[in-house]
Amino acid sequence: MTSKFSILSIGLVISSIVLFMADLALGSVHIPLASIVDILLGNEAEKESWNIILISSRLPRALAAILAGSALAVSGLQMQTLFRNPLAGPYILGISSGAGLGVAVFIMGFSVLGISLSSSVWFANYGIVVSAILGAVLVLLLLMAAIAKLKDIMTVLILGIMIGSIATAFISILEYFSQEDSLKSFVLWTMGDLSSVAPKSLKMLFFIVMIGLVAAFSISKQLNAYLLGEDYALSLGTNVNVTRYLVILVTALLAGSITAFCGPIGFVGIITPHIARIFFKSANHFYLVPLCVLLGINIMLLADIIAQLPGSDKTFPINAVTSLIGIPFIFWIIFRNKKIAALN
Amino acid sequence: MKNILSISSLSIGYNKNKVLSNISLDIDQPKLITLIGRNGQGKSTLLKTLSGLIPAIDGEIFFGEKINKELNHKEKSKLFSVVLTSPPAINSITVKDFVAYGRYPYTNWLAQKKEEDNRQINQAMELCGITNFAATNIANLSDGERQKVALARAIAQNTPIIFLDEPTSHLDLVNQSELFDLLDQLVEKQQKTIIISSHQLNLALNYADEIWLINNNQLEANTPEYFIKSGKIEALFGGLKLKYF
Repeated sequence: MTSKFSILSIGLVISSIVLFMADLALGSVHIPLASIVDILLGNEAEKESWNIILISSRLPRALAAILAGSALAVSGLQMQTLFRNPLAGPYILGISSGAGLGVAVFIMGFSVLGISLSSSVWFANYGIVVSAILGAVLVLLLLMAAIAKLKDIMTVLILGIMIGSIATAFISILEYFSQEDSLKSFVLWTMGDLSSVAPKSLKMLFFIVMIGLVAAFSISKQLNAYLLGEDYALSLGTNVNVTRYLVILVTALLAGSITAFCGPIGFVGIITPHIARIFFKSANHFYLVPLCVLLGINIMLLADIIAQLPGSDKTFPINAVTSLIGIPFIFWIIFRNKKIAALN
Repeated sequence: MKNILSISSLSIGYNKNKVLSNISLDIDQPKLITLIGRNGQGKSTLLKTLSGLIPAIDGEIFFGEKINKELNHKEKSKLFSVVLTSPPAINSITVKDFVAYGRYPYTNWLAQKKEEDNRQINQAMELCGITNFAATNIANLSDGERQKVALARAIAQNTPIIFLDEPTSHLDLVNQSELFDLLDQLVEKQQKTIIISSHQLNLALNYADEIWLINNNQLEANTPEYFIKSGKIEALFGGLKLKYF
């Protein structure tokens, strides 16, 4: 098992390096690969403009793709194990709807009150991130309170979906009453944008995602016990309640921060754990967590490359691209196995 | 000498609806106890309450000198292991890896196995006669084989007490008596206390050191001989003529 894991992970590291370089090389301005390597190594580029394009635009976007891919894939894996549901993903508990409501209140609510966001770009950018985090945390707190009261985790899942629907309803009301330009900024946010992460915030995002990933890996033993069912997990000494809280906290950290900075990005979190299980043919989280990180990176970089295909300064919205890759993949799994791949 | 398990004025049930009340029992030496009673009388509820999976409505359970309320999950997992009627939800795992779950209470956060862990796993597989398919995926096993694997996992947990909820239900006659034979050995050679619920009256009466009979919201504990002579088992099954052999 370990040798298979090593081969798989080495292969995935190589393919992610290839995709990373391709992601940097593609775009409206052609930059030769040799120059890209030069610039990355800190040497002088042939053209100053190449340096600027790469360092301030393409590199942050590719790094954001790496962070988003790994974070969403791992939080999807954790949700699927916690809820024993193959269609669960990072957003199943309404975290994205909560973040969306926060952003909607910020973008559209302020304009209803007559406060213009265009007065300060800084305020607009950070305001979106902060309000998305607040929205996600609000949903999270409601769920934590529910878990304390409810024994059955499936009830929590239904509650999460309901909370998400309420948030969506509020968003619709805000959309209906909002001005055209603020409506447009909100709709743009929902399409997801990897390039909206400023190089400065990238450091913070990296820090948050690393904490989330390390925390996710560190509860692998508990999640493996969870695969037997909650009763057996309990009888093996797993503190099931603490594990639930931890999984939801880790997911809020990973999916919440990515959504706050890049907007909602669908399907990566649902399909990546399935691909990892199909490749590895095991449900052991000690292997699945690192595999999901690597696979998530590959998939997100590929999605970003596809988003660049128009070839001009316009790109496809990343959320649309991940749906376009993700949904056919789910169809393929269903028709290949005649059902969704089993979780365990 | 302190008791292995002491139950005092225990009431059990779901959501305050008492199924059984005022149970008081002491187990002072390792033995095989069979829990019998008709469906819905509270056999599973009793086993789940004793193993801490559902809370008791009233009363206390002592493991040695420790009271169950003050034990955390980790401590409990070293005192008793459980095999439930619902099969474990996992499918794509080898027999050996599944049995290795039994060592979870003893391993570190990375679930790394030490020499002692491997010894216990191999011994448990040997006892249950599943060493030959250690590398087989459990999805490819028969129901009976899977039952043995489930038992091996509980044995690997190496606890003084084992709770088994109807482990004979998927087994044919030969496998059933092999199972009781194995449990009997575990009690004799490894000083385990095993509490098993079963509908297999013949085997239960034959092998058990003690019978816990549940009827009309009452639990009565005594020797198999007592229950056979008193005719209480026949009464339980509505006057069915039973033959014991």
